Amino acid sequence: MPLRFRLNGRDKQILESTDLAFLYKLVRVMKNPKTKFNEVDFVTKGEDYLFNYVNNNVGGVDEGRRNFLKGILIGVAVTTVAGIVPGLRVLIPPVQSVSGFPKTLILDSSGNPIKASTLPVNSPIIMVFPYPLQNEINFLLNLGDENGNPVEVPPTTVVVPQTGDKYQFPGGVGPNKSIVAYSAICQHLGCTPPYIHFYPPKYVNISQVTAPEPNKLTVQAVQAAKSAKVPAIIHCDCHGSTYDPYHGAAVLTGPTVRPLPTIVLEWDSSTDYLYAIGAVGVPTYPMSSNGVPSNDPSADLDESQFGASVGDKTEISETNPFSS
Amino acid sequence: MGNRVSNWFKERINMEDLPFFRTPDYMYHVGDWLGALVAAAFFYTVISGLIILLYYDPAAGYQSTETIINKVPYGSVVLYSHLYGAYAMIILAFVHMFRNYFVGAYKKPREIVWILGVLMLALTLGASFLGYSLIGDVLAVSAVDVGAGILGSLGLSSLVPILFGNYSAGDYTRVLAMHIILVALIGLLFLIHFFLADLQYGMMPSRKVKDKAPAVYPKSEWQKFNPWWPRNFIYMMSLIFLTWGFILIIPNALVYFTFPQIANPFLNPKPAPPPNSPAAATVTTYPPWFFLFVYKIADFPGSVLVDMTIALFIPLIYLLVVPFIDRSPYLHPLKRRVFTWIGILMMIYLIQSSLWGDLAPGVPVSMSEILEVYLPPAIITGLGIFLIPWEKVSKGLSKGMSNPPTMLAFTFVTLAFASSMIYFLTTLSLASLATVISLGSIFVILAKLLTPYVMRAQQDENAVSVEEASKVLEKKKRIAQIIMIILFIVAIPIVVTMWTIPPTGYYSNLFGVDLGVLFLILGEEFSLYHYVVYKKPVEKEE
Repeated sequence: MPLRFRLNGRDKQILESTDLAFLYKLVRVMKNPKTKFNEVDFVTKGEDYLFNYVNNNVGGVDEGRRNFLKGILIGVAVTTVAGIVPGLRVLIPPVQSVSGFPKTLILDSSGNPIKASTLPVNSPIIMVFPYPLQNEINFLLNLGDENGNPVEVPPTTVVVPQTGDKYQFPGGVGPNKSIVAYSAICQHLGCTPPYIHFYPPKYVNISQVTAPEPNKLTVQAVQAAKSAKVPAIIHCDCHGSTYDPYHGAAVLTGPTVRPLPTIVLEWDSSTDYLYAIGAVGVPTYPMSSNGVPSNDPSADLDESQFGASVGDKTEISETNPFSS
Repeated sequence: MGNRVSNWFKERINMEDLPFFRTPDYMYHVGDWLGALVAAAFFYTVISGLIILLYYDPAAGYQSTETIINKVPYGSVVLYSHLYGAYAMIILAFVHMFRNYFVGAYKKPREIVWILGVLMLALTLGASFLGYSLIGDVLAVSAVDVGAGILGSLGLSSLVPILFGNYSAGDYTRVLAMHIILVALIGLLFLIHFFLADLQYGMMPSRKVKDKAPAVYPKSEWQKFNPWWPRNFIYMMSLIFLTWGFILIIPNALVYFTFPQIANPFLNPKPAPPPNSPAAATVTTYPPWFFLFVYKIADFPGSVLVDMTIALFIPLIYLLVVPFIDRSPYLHPLKRRVFTWIGILMMIYLIQSSLWGDLAPGVPVSMSEILEVYLPPAIITGLGIFLIPWEKVSKGLSKGMSNPPTMLAFTFVTLAFASSMIYFLTTLSLASLATVISLGSIFVILAKLLTPYVMRAQQDENAVSVEEASKVLEKKKRIAQIIMIILFIVAIPIVVTMWTIPPTGYYSNLFGVDLGVLFLILGEEFSLYHYVVYKKPVEKEE
């Protein structure tokens, strides 16, 4: 209730009750020895001293109301923080949960689906496609005999020399069952094309021993191909590892102690398209070091090593190692 | 206990004695705080940009943009609001600049503050262009091509690898680095700009206090005003959160709409298709909206050098040297009519060329079209500005201003403006656009000149005493208090829904909308708190 008095027949208000309370409080604070009002400072510094004094010690008019509003303000601030908290998930990098191998359509280098029946036989051109992750490259091969006719690649059992483990190679696909795909990362120390690549029959002879890198064959490789009666081989120029593409990329010569992993292909006879659907054998280098064949895709699908999944399409890139 | 803790901090931090500008009561209006809005947008964009930096891969620009949008939790919320934070910063920087241009803030002693501000605007446009290029969609690639082409025809092709690196080969490392470097430069200049503007000279007094340069409060005088803590802090918080709220709400709501082509440069936050996709062939390419004006002026006849001189160099150099050309001490816009006129024209031309670039991108224009578009605003605004009699304005718009001829003229302008608007909406031609903008600006000027008079006339009738005013204010404060409580209650269900919104996918952008609303509420709470606690019944301009 405000303080009023009557003047010339009119009510004149002089003081709000809150103001009165404020004054009372101020006087009490000023008398308190702890927060003594310094008259000397007041005289020298003037009004400023008074304002600061009041602000610091009494907190202005209507402290209760101010505290109530402060409470609301802090409440809303806390609420806002509670709203931001789920947003902090933005800091958690998305983990691609790949539970299995994707079924991926293989495209040629211009982006059209590759046709199995037009795939050149024994091509000297290195055709690689990434699968199942973007940095895992694989050869796509259409195998033939010395005369360039496609040959059927039968299923077979492949041995891992490092451990003696065995696994089943599914054989070729396509109209002639001659198309196969193997990892293009050498199991010895991880060399990639053009150091490791496919040598068509006309290059698998002793004259290739003197060819320049990366097309050089070792004498052992040529002999091993001859004794195994395979017309063409996959050979790595880094250290001379040789693989037999007709038998699941089994080891022909060291120093490698593991065959190249096989990419399982599927041929759709109505459209003539080729799909990559999985992998067998040891995992992609360097995950394969224990030499244990694995059908557990997680070994091949470790993103930290090989990037994101290729998804449902993968594109071939071509280079010709023999051009120069 | 709480008091003891807060006292402990008070003694050690001593916020009252911060050397920031002490602000008089009458300056707590957004017009005096436009710089704070720009800074708020800047800081939002920096924070969101740093979050994006955790994910962006410059070796795969478009792909990683898509990954951020589709895979990263709330990635699209952060990315789109980063874009609109930059948009907000550009718009607010223009508003801030033009406001200070018209109040004459570039005059002594604030020349350096002004020049730093102009440089920051240029850097902001540059950083925004580079940021826009990082998306790697067909629009970004074509914008970079155009930019590189312009540099090439200016004989500056050696700058292209410096700015863009191996951009055309899909390697955005250099663009990303440049983007960050420019933003860091903006931050550095901002520190100096702020230091000079706030600590050295303080905010510009009202023209009623000082109508001549140098418009500064003497330090002894500004010691009487409100210290930075806590009042300025609270007011600043309200501005920051309101700005952030809009930056979050607008793009995240726009995501759910599709737009006609002419609205795309302004309203579509989503990236366009990648340049190597079949869909890219059907996309009309356009630069980001803040460079549409350059894009249109590049269609002018004459060499690229001439066009760029018109579009960029002349305005930039003019803005940099204007403190040294306009040497009169007068601050009122009508006491420096030529500069006011140039300022209004710059604004009109900026808007006009941008809209023209949006409606007819890349269509060459003839000399007669240029005259048709750019001459009428110059004549109309020129006549308007030079015919307003200073004597009458200076007398606080005495009754002479509202005599029948003036009122008749105002009515005429209003009607002409309204009909030109209808004409523009029905014909959508360039001439009609030019007419509507120039008549609109005349209308705004006249309306602004006349309103104070009309408002005052009303006030005089029921002249209120301080006592009366404080009663009314107290009533308003009670209402403000109730609104504060209601907003608090509204905020709670919003937070609850936010916990249920999926972090990716179609609905994830609702999180951005909700967070924006929450920021708006928080900003409004700060604003209301400021009103209730600090607002005085009479805040005279001292």
